Amino acid sequence: MEAFILGLSNGTTCVAYCAPVLVPYLLGEGKGILQNSVLTAQFLLGRLLGYLLFAVLAWGINRSILQGVSKPDLVIGPAYVVFSLLLIYYGFFKTRTSCKTTCTHGLRHKLMTILPVSIPMIAGFVTGLSLCPPFLLAFTGAVEKTTVIQSMFFFFAFFLGTSIFFIPLPFSGLFRGFSALRIIGRMAAGLIGVYYLYSGIMMLIGGYTI
Amino acid sequence: MKKNTTEASATTRRSLFKTFLLCLPMMLLTFMMLTGGSMPTGGERLFALAATFLFFNLLFFLMVRTGKTDRFRSILFITLAVCFVFSFISNLIAVRGSMALSRATMIEGGAPFCHLVIPMTLIPAVLTKTIIFPGKILGSYSIAGMFVIWIGVSLALGRGLCSWFCFFGGLEDGFSRILKKPIIKNISKKWTYLPYAVLLVVVLMSALTLSPTYCQWLCPFKTVTEFVEITSVKVLIQTIIFVSLFIGLVVVLPILTKRRTQCGLFCPLGALQSVTNKTNVFEIRIDQDKCVQCNKCIRVCPTFSIDEESLGRGRVKASCTKCGKCVDACPQKALFYHVKGTSLSSKLDRYRLLFLYPAFLVLAIIAGRFVQDAMVKAINLITTGTMI
Repeated sequence: MEAFILGLSNGTTCVAYCAPVLVPYLLGEGKGILQNSVLTAQFLLGRLLGYLLFAVLAWGINRSILQGVSKPDLVIGPAYVVFSLLLIYYGFFKTRTSCKTTCTHGLRHKLMTILPVSIPMIAGFVTGLSLCPPFLLAFTGAVEKTTVIQSMFFFFAFFLGTSIFFIPLPFSGLFRGFSALRIIGRMAAGLIGVYYLYSGIMMLIGGYTI
Repeated sequence: MKKNTTEASATTRRSLFKTFLLCLPMMLLTFMMLTGGSMPTGGERLFALAATFLFFNLLFFLMVRTGKTDRFRSILFITLAVCFVFSFISNLIAVRGSMALSRATMIEGGAPFCHLVIPMTLIPAVLTKTIIFPGKILGSYSIAGMFVIWIGVSLALGRGLCSWFCFFGGLEDGFSRILKKPIIKNISKKWTYLPYAVLLVVVLMSALTLSPTYCQWLCPFKTVTEFVEITSVKVLIQTIIFVSLFIGLVVVLPILTKRRTQCGLFCPLGALQSVTNKTNVFEIRIDQDKCVQCNKCIRVCPTFSIDEESLGRGRVKASCTKCGKCVDACPQKALFYHVKGTSLSSKLDRYRLLFLYPAFLVLAIIAGRFVQDAMVKAINLITTGTMI
């Protein structure tokens, strides 16, 4: 309950973190409410996986297993760089495949077919790893749990609390009739990708001051 | 064709007396606005006032007499931008000693608030009841003052704000007029949607970070106004980004394309202003009976607001800034200013005049202060060797 209330009270902050990634994507895909619900569910699943990963990490910290990891940014940074580049590609350069016969051959076509499905989940996973203040609070709470199951339940409750605020997002699909909005959504996703690319690079270089 | 054009111009040219009568209200209004109710005492200030008054009213007189809008608007618009930059930078150097904005100044709320910040402050203001900008609420260059001006100008002119108010737009307008012919001609239509994407992103990111994202990262005009002191890698990267955007979008691309690329392909406020065009009474219409599809209007439009589809519909796009360049350029006089809900066949130049009064007055009011100030500083510099 503590974790659920924590998630509920900080849900707007979480949705503010995730909406810049998810809303442009939903607009960019230009699908209906049902399909957008599926995409949002994929996104939330990715986020849940990210949370559960941190639940394990929290438990590990609790058991002093991961004491050696002094710079987590060096793990998260490259992930940001790779996934942001994917987002930039999606936003500005990806073209829709219209002919099925051209999609059946070659790695490039396979990627083009697979990525639109997995991008929301990857994005959800990456935003799930965001070290925002409410997340750090939840993490601190999870670290206190003694078993991995307790830790995972704690994060799951936190996830449920924050996820309530994602319910209106699939309705972005109401705008699917406007082709201009799809272009705008894709470009916005590309711009967000630039932001995350910068974040990833800064994590890698450690934000040196001059 | 040339004969027709000459005939059309001749019909719109007014007599001197009638032009004078039509300009009288503007003379009175500009005099009131430039003096602010009291005459200056210093010689150089009096000279600047007289010169500014004559310059403004000469341009308005020529607009009314010749029927040309953009030809004379652009002179004042470019003058405004140059004088604004000159006046603003010299003030900063006089007060602070540099163009760099220190952290202490930001904490004190000393950063001037400009209209480009408006889109990103709205949602955080609603959500958190705070203004995410280190500026003053009241006084000169204040947040409240700029909001009131923005609402007023948006109601009066819609996106006309971008060509009749924005003190930055004149810079790229000026650069876009350097070459006679564009070197880059074909720009994909999809890039005209980029301002809306930038708007969406800066609004979301500002709500997320509770900071003015566009000002910090993207605003190219910080290059010619003020910028944050470089004290970290982050600020260094921000500086590289906005200087690059200035060089690219405000200088190089306008020269190469003869378009206002920052306004047409990037500015988030411009995207927001396009929405206000929907509620504004003034618009540019295309008479499809007169149009011979020469596409000259498409080629000259600085903000990519006319395409073949527009010609088919008889209306320009919502991104039109009402600069009047297409109206001036059309050899058939097929494009014209129009007041929504009124007849399309009666004396069309009346609509242009109805638009010109508020639009020129806005431009004159915003330009008056900066032009006079720049002139006084230039006189001081020449006569005393110092601008203050």
